Amino acid sequence: MLKRAALIAAKDLRLAVGGGQGPVQAVLLGLILIFLFSLSKPLGGTISAQAAGAIFWLASAFCLVLVFNDLFSIEEAEGARFGILSSPAQTHSVWIGKGAAGFCLLVVSQLVFFPAVVAFLGQSVNGPSWLFFVSLFGGDIGLCVLGALLGALSQGQTARESLLSVIVFPLLLPVLLAGITLFAAAFSGEGVDAAMDWVGLIFAFDALFAGAGLFLFPFVYGAED
Amino acid sequence: MNRTALFALAAGILLLAHQVMIWFYAPYAQSGPVQKIFYMHLPCSWWALVSFLTVALAGLGYLITRKDSFDRVAGAAAEIGVLFCTLSLATGSVWARAEWGHWWVWDPKLTTALIMWYVYAGYLVLRASPVGGERKALICAVLGIVAFLDVPLVFFAAKLWGSAHPDGLARQGGGMAPKMWHTVFAGLAAFGFLWLSMMSVRIRQLALRARLDALLVWDDE
Repeated sequence: MLKRAALIAAKDLRLAVGGGQGPVQAVLLGLILIFLFSLSKPLGGTISAQAAGAIFWLASAFCLVLVFNDLFSIEEAEGARFGILSSPAQTHSVWIGKGAAGFCLLVVSQLVFFPAVVAFLGQSVNGPSWLFFVSLFGGDIGLCVLGALLGALSQGQTARESLLSVIVFPLLLPVLLAGITLFAAAFSGEGVDAAMDWVGLIFAFDALFAGAGLFLFPFVYGAED
Repeated sequence: MNRTALFALAAGILLLAHQVMIWFYAPYAQSGPVQKIFYMHLPCSWWALVSFLTVALAGLGYLITRKDSFDRVAGAAAEIGVLFCTLSLATGSVWARAEWGHWWVWDPKLTTALIMWYVYAGYLVLRASPVGGERKALICAVLGIVAFLDVPLVFFAAKLWGSAHPDGLARQGGGMAPKMWHTVFAGLAAFGFLWLSMMSVRIRQLALRARLDALLVWDDE
């Protein structure tokens, strides 16, 4: 199953990057958001670590919507989805593959967002760096697990980006709150002691929705109009 | 008399009795008459939560059996849940403004209610979207289950973020008088029958619409 998931992920990444655009649109949208929010900083003033964390994760959430819309729209043309469904690959492999491809594209986008947060919002990692990486990893897993499950909801619909945003953003609230708090601690170096509860919450979210995704994704992806 | 009419009659009588209890039976709290809004606020919140649980259970039922009746129950419960959740948020906000001087305070319960409102409003948008056939019912069932799974995590996250709700303080200070509790339970029963009658009417409407749609399709062919 994992081998076929890797094949799906590789196929999606090749198509996403080979199409010429890749995650460019998602990266640009995130960068614009970070720049626009930097305008809330008074001239010569600073922006709080918590606000910077919130802006980073907001940019990531918008990026997630675009990334998963692209990944699922790849298979809309000429019934490619039905081709995959009739192939020997299990539907679960599709979900894991989509999630892995989305994770890669999201991390690539965040590699651009982070320098923008440093430059535009004046932040740096003053807390433990493990906290930064653990929260980034856990948060991204949570975003991708849910994105890969619900990205298929908007397949074949007009205005799918707005529909997916309306559905996914409220569900992501636990991960977003945890990511914001942990990034605030990592940026400022304060409140690190209380961080473990949030780390636990992020991984509980990841585990819960990974289980739900394994059970529910075949219903969403395999359903016919 | 059919079941819906019985539920509606019971709801009408109990709602009237509940109003009498609110204004003539339950004692006034320290904060004055504005506290009376609590007796409307709490049942709306509880029955909204029951509605959302019903959406999840009906969604699971649909995934297992593929019976359209489960989809209609989920649709009706989501609509009524959003209505009750809206009323709960509105009454809670008015009460908070009068009691604490703010329309909104950060609190796990309030935040969870607001996030649930957003999620199930999105669910209704999805139900209204032009997705055809079995697919819509399936993806709505999946979203209904996912949405309810998220509720404890949202509550816990909001609790970690910080609580400003004075409920805990009120409990430490002795809580409510027995007459207040009687009024609360009467409200829960009254709103329960109201919920049942609304659900019954809406499920029947959705079943009739499905039948009409099927007849129209047959006529076209």
